[in-house]
Amino acid sequence: MASKYFGLFVLVQLFVLEVDNQTFAFPTPTASTDDKAVYNRQLTEERPLQEQIAEADSVKAAVQSAESKQPAAFKDAESEQASDDFTMLKSLADGQKSKDSREVLVKKEDHHVPDEADSTKSRRLADDYDSTKNGMDYDDTESFRQVDGTPLTAEDIVQKIANKIYEEDDRGVFDRIISKLLKLGLITENQADSLEYQVAEALQDLITKNAKNNEVEDTENIAQDTGGEQDDQGADMDTWEPRKRSYNEEEEEEEDNDDEQIEDDVDRDAEEEMEAADNTWDKDTEEGNEVGQGDGLQDLQYFPNFYQLLRSLNSEKDAQERETLITIMKTLIDFVKMMVKYGTITPEEGVSYLENLDAMIAMQTKNKLGKSLGLPEVGGPNGKNMDEDDNTKSETAKMQKEYENLRDSTKEEQPTAESTLDQPGKSETYLEAIRKNIEWLKKHNKDDGKDDYDLSKLKDFMDQQVESYIEKGIIAKDEGDTIKRIYGSL
Amino acid sequence: YAGVGGSCALLRHKMKQSFWVLLFGSALIVLASAAGSDAGISFEYHRYEELRKALLSVWLQCPTITRIYTIGESFERRELLVLEMSDNPGTHEPGEPEFKYIANMHGNEAVGRELLINLAQYLCNQYQQENETIIDLIHNTRIHIMPSMNPDGFEKAASQPGEIKDWFVGRSNAQGVDLNRNFPDLDRIIYINEREGGANNHLLQNMKKAVDENTKLAPETKAVIHWIMDIPFVLSANLHGGDVVANYPYDETRTGSTHEYSASPDDEMFKSLARAFSMYNPVMSDPHRPPCRKNDDDSSFKDGITNGGAWYSVPGGMQDFNYLSSNCFEITLELSCDKFPNEDTLKTYWQQNRDSLVNYIEQVHRGVKGFVRDLQGNPISNATISVEGIDHDITTAKDGDYWRLLAPGNYKVAASAPGYLTVIKKVAVPYSPATRVDFELESLMERKEEEREELMDWWKMMSETLNF
Repeated sequence: MASKYFGLFVLVQLFVLEVDNQTFAFPTPTASTDDKAVYNRQLTEERPLQEQIAEADSVKAAVQSAESKQPAAFKDAESEQASDDFTMLKSLADGQKSKDSREVLVKKEDHHVPDEADSTKSRRLADDYDSTKNGMDYDDTESFRQVDGTPLTAEDIVQKIANKIYEEDDRGVFDRIISKLLKLGLITENQADSLEYQVAEALQDLITKNAKNNEVEDTENIAQDTGGEQDDQGADMDTWEPRKRSYNEEEEEEEDNDDEQIEDDVDRDAEEEMEAADNTWDKDTEEGNEVGQGDGLQDLQYFPNFYQLLRSLNSEKDAQERETLITIMKTLIDFVKMMVKYGTITPEEGVSYLENLDAMIAMQTKNKLGKSLGLPEVGGPNGKNMDEDDNTKSETAKMQKEYENLRDSTKEEQPTAESTLDQPGKSETYLEAIRKNIEWLKKHNKDDGKDDYDLSKLKDFMDQQVESYIEKGIIAKDEGDTIKRIYGSL
Repeated sequence: YAGVGGSCALLRHKMKQSFWVLLFGSALIVLASAAGSDAGISFEYHRYEELRKALLSVWLQCPTITRIYTIGESFERRELLVLEMSDNPGTHEPGEPEFKYIANMHGNEAVGRELLINLAQYLCNQYQQENETIIDLIHNTRIHIMPSMNPDGFEKAASQPGEIKDWFVGRSNAQGVDLNRNFPDLDRIIYINEREGGANNHLLQNMKKAVDENTKLAPETKAVIHWIMDIPFVLSANLHGGDVVANYPYDETRTGSTHEYSASPDDEMFKSLARAFSMYNPVMSDPHRPPCRKNDDDSSFKDGITNGGAWYSVPGGMQDFNYLSSNCFEITLELSCDKFPNEDTLKTYWQQNRDSLVNYIEQVHRGVKGFVRDLQGNPISNATISVEGIDHDITTAKDGDYWRLLAPGNYKVAASAPGYLTVIKKVAVPYSPATRVDFELESLMERKEEEREELMDWWKMMSETLNF
């Protein structure tokens, strides 16, 4: 499994390099009539400055709204997606509006505009490289490349789908696309599943970011732009910026705040979804809550093992590990919530998955870190009771009871017939045998250096055994008595 | 010089003397030990009561290592008695292999019955006399000895007047059923499965039900089947009379012909097991031994062993039933040309077979053995242990323990169970002792979780590297 991810990692790294290379080459857009008009318009230097500014503003506004839908991150996509990109591109592009493509072109052209143009234009420049992520928006269904010539990544596909779902506010989009792909045999069931996860995640991010952006836009629209622009000028041509871009407005804030933001969002979402999820979560909170609420990790209280693990990482040097773990855990929780929200899994499945996750954490911690989380461990197979595991005794007891009456009658005959002759013979034999046993015990205990064997204990044991043998019909009553008598006389 | 020569001569004389002393001394010791080991063993036929008494005496003498129990009743209500010997009688200790001897399923084949009574007494005596081999054996094995599976038949055979006993009287049980043809015929099923595909082990489906509702099964047969299902026997032997050879599966021929070598998947191991018995019996392993009867066809006998089908086809036998319905490997031991020989020959038969009987029990400690557990250390019972190249799987018992008898060689052993990922291990198996191979199986759920974790790890790494 790891190798697969490694492969994708390499792929992604290549992308970074590739795109980096592209920054110095001017991306060549393919032409279309509409875009050409825009193109030409933009090139005219004689256009009044005001007009240009006005246009730039409108474009920027459009870009911003497009941005807010941009990929929050390239996700941990499965590499199987890569080969399916092209056909995905095709089918998605069919439904895609071409609005964004115009903006893309506009931005590209601005690359040539001299510096005295207003700073929004240079911002667009950075947008350029950002928008390569959105390359599929470009209205050329035949192109398998982004506008700057780089091929689409799997993440782009995921983003596309997430965007679409978000735009249309309809999960059915996903189902339609997936079923189409499955039908065409382009993806397997497994790939469909993992795609679902990623899309859900991307969607979650979209929603989160959108909420943030909406907040921010409402209040400090222009001021933020400026701040953002300055940052962007400093920002390099790294095209993996987009996610950071979205947070640029809040760049001054600490990263911790981001966590809190996530927390808030999570809580907010949690509230929404709890209602949606039939209050299953509520039930669980009551049951699984053995952890304090004070440290702001509300969701994590449902995971006693995980919490223990966190607690064990209390020292300073573990702080980063702790943070990472928390982030990961929260993301996983979000995963599941998203799944539940979108009906991919039932709430019960989600709950049981998370419960299993918690149990698994305990196990993995034990295995990998070598420490126990302080929770009871599974006992080994040594706790067996001393009763025999085979049911010879129970079976025979059953059979004994069945034939008890008959047996009694036959038993009566035997002893009377033989006892008169054999009784002295029998007792002698038994006596001999018992004597040998005692002798051996004496010798054995002496050799071992133990004190004299416990005769009374032996006697009790033998009495018990004799009784059970009589019960099972292995020895007759009088024989049993003889034996007991012998032991009694020792 | 003469002084030295003189002392040399004296030395030589002394050496000669001491040599003789040594020789006589060792002879005496051998004699003494032989007499000693057979002390307390009576060499006469035991009827049912005497049999019971004899087993009881062994128990009274060695109560800490023996236990008497019964697996059921014969048709005429005699107990099918078993004497169990182990350091913890009455309990299956996880990892300790279970062994059984059964004799006298044909009531008139009497030598085996007597040999097993002798064996019980012998093991008890030797244990108390500090015989280390026996002590080790009893501590590491759970040995079950059933001197008579057909006590009713024996009574009938033994009640015949006169010295010469009939070849057939007392052979079958009180209902006239030949117990060694009375077991469900699983050979037929395995042969079909070999051709058309199907299970290669544990072929008796719905065991309890099939057995209890089958009116054709004699009570003795039923009792033994239940016994086989309840205890995870690993190795067994079934004692008969009327010839002298160690016979191994399969007994029933594949094509139905009367004589045909019918090898089982474990043919190599079975040959090794059969030889392990025959080689200590001077009569059985004698290559120049004349056949028991002039016109007997013993062409299939080699080194004192024979494949069952190659000798003559036997359907419904107990030997094959063991192998095909459970994990137990069983062979059939024919121990005397005479089925019911004169009483004064019993001592000789004992001497001929004593070492073989002990050595055969030792064979249970061969091959590969161990435990199958999950990653939390819980035993996985009924997991399948399969060996590459041998089309016969065995299963783990309740504690996850298994014992897979194998001849020396290099093997790939796989442990699998539903819901778990299979693990394969390579093992080099010596002749003995058994090689310990444990398995820890990861459940599919766990693997899925692992993959999910890897996913998250990867994502974390990605995000760290790419800085957001």
